[in-house]
Amino acid sequence: MAVAIKSFGLTDKGKIRQTNQDNFLIVDIRKSVLIRHTSLPKEALSREFGSADAHLFVVADGVGGGPRGDRASEATVAALLEYASETVDLFNGVDSPNEQSLFDRLEDRVREVHQALLDEYGRQPGQSPATTLTMVLLIWPRAYLVHVGDSRAYVRRGGELQQLTRDQTLGEYLISSGTWTEEEAARSRPGALLSSAIGGPTLEPTVGLIDLDPGDSIMLCTDGLTKHVKVKRIAELMENAADVEGVARKLVDEALANGGTDNVSVIVVTAVQ
Amino acid sequence: MIQKKICMVGLFGTGKTCLVQRYVHSIFSNRYLSTVGVKIDRKEVQVGDQTIKLMLWDLEGRDGVRDVNASYISGAHGVIYVVDGTRPETLDGVYDIRNNVTSALGEIPSVVAFNKTDLTDSWKLDESDETGVGTRGMHGFRTSAKTGDGVEDAFQWLAQATLKNGGK
Repeated sequence: MAVAIKSFGLTDKGKIRQTNQDNFLIVDIRKSVLIRHTSLPKEALSREFGSADAHLFVVADGVGGGPRGDRASEATVAALLEYASETVDLFNGVDSPNEQSLFDRLEDRVREVHQALLDEYGRQPGQSPATTLTMVLLIWPRAYLVHVGDSRAYVRRGGELQQLTRDQTLGEYLISSGTWTEEEAARSRPGALLSSAIGGPTLEPTVGLIDLDPGDSIMLCTDGLTKHVKVKRIAELMENAADVEGVARKLVDEALANGGTDNVSVIVVTAVQ
Repeated sequence: MIQKKICMVGLFGTGKTCLVQRYVHSIFSNRYLSTVGVKIDRKEVQVGDQTIKLMLWDLEGRDGVRDVNASYISGAHGVIYVVDGTRPETLDGVYDIRNNVTSALGEIPSVVAFNKTDLTDSWKLDESDETGVGTRGMHGFRTSAKTGDGVEDAFQWLAQATLKNGGK
């Protein structure tokens, strides 16, 4: 089934912050092979060249209040852009043993950026710039996720919006370990501290995947969106998700209208039949 | 290092993610967050003189769905079927899922985790339910992600079985 991947990204520094420490990236990666004439059957061609596209989507939120958060998010996004060119060998589908290699390489790249930031700025807590990262590498129909920090990825399927990532914050950790209730975490400022960040004291990337269906949408965002727009409202705004630009603009506009206290970045991706 | 892909499967809310959290991170949460797609965790285990890297694929369990996405289980070396001991229907669900897994992968080392043994007052399975999995070629373990009882044993047994089953 032919599926087109439509995507649009947007970032705004918000109404309070002087700078924008968020960065985002959308990459279409193509291996182009043009067959003029052939006696080969169609099935053989689709096996070889059927899924010749990959797409990389990244949002990164430089940690505000720390030194050079913008540097951390830029370095992370740039490193993943470089990674994109290495994925060409995966275009014809990722088999099971290679799938682990793909995750390993992605995670290695994330750890290299983390290490480079620590080497450049120092290892004491607070010395190094830090950033979140939420990225999706889509090799249709499979979307591979790597996630660090409190930016988020959602999938919208059949009108229902579900969160693919779990925030890596102190609050979430303490809730998960049974130490805090959700109410306690919401009340506490330290609850929002990142428990894992690129360039931070701890880095624990989480990985996952989901096979998409035609019509599904994925939305990546920094916390500048989710601190101002409730999930239920995000789901409403994503109703016409085929209009990826329109939806991205509505989401950012609503975050700004509701306070815009932080930088906000959004990527909307829809698989259109 | 030898890597083994282990899939966690079972109906909705049986505790698949909690078992992985307990095994890999030694934590337990009462809060229920459903898995969307697949979450992947890793853990290195020692079997004899060999170190094995277990790739733990925690598959979403959908309400009432007794099938499993064949592309998610492709290439798996072992499976942990998770049953909620307070909900007997989740054992029936496992038998349906097991048929689908076997159709796709053939016979591979398999464990049934009879989970939530800490909920003693609500436990609904009897001994024949638990021994019954043995006659179907699976190895049963009573587990509690909350207390950690049986969790290490279940994963360790499966790691060993995948190694015996060959394929590096």
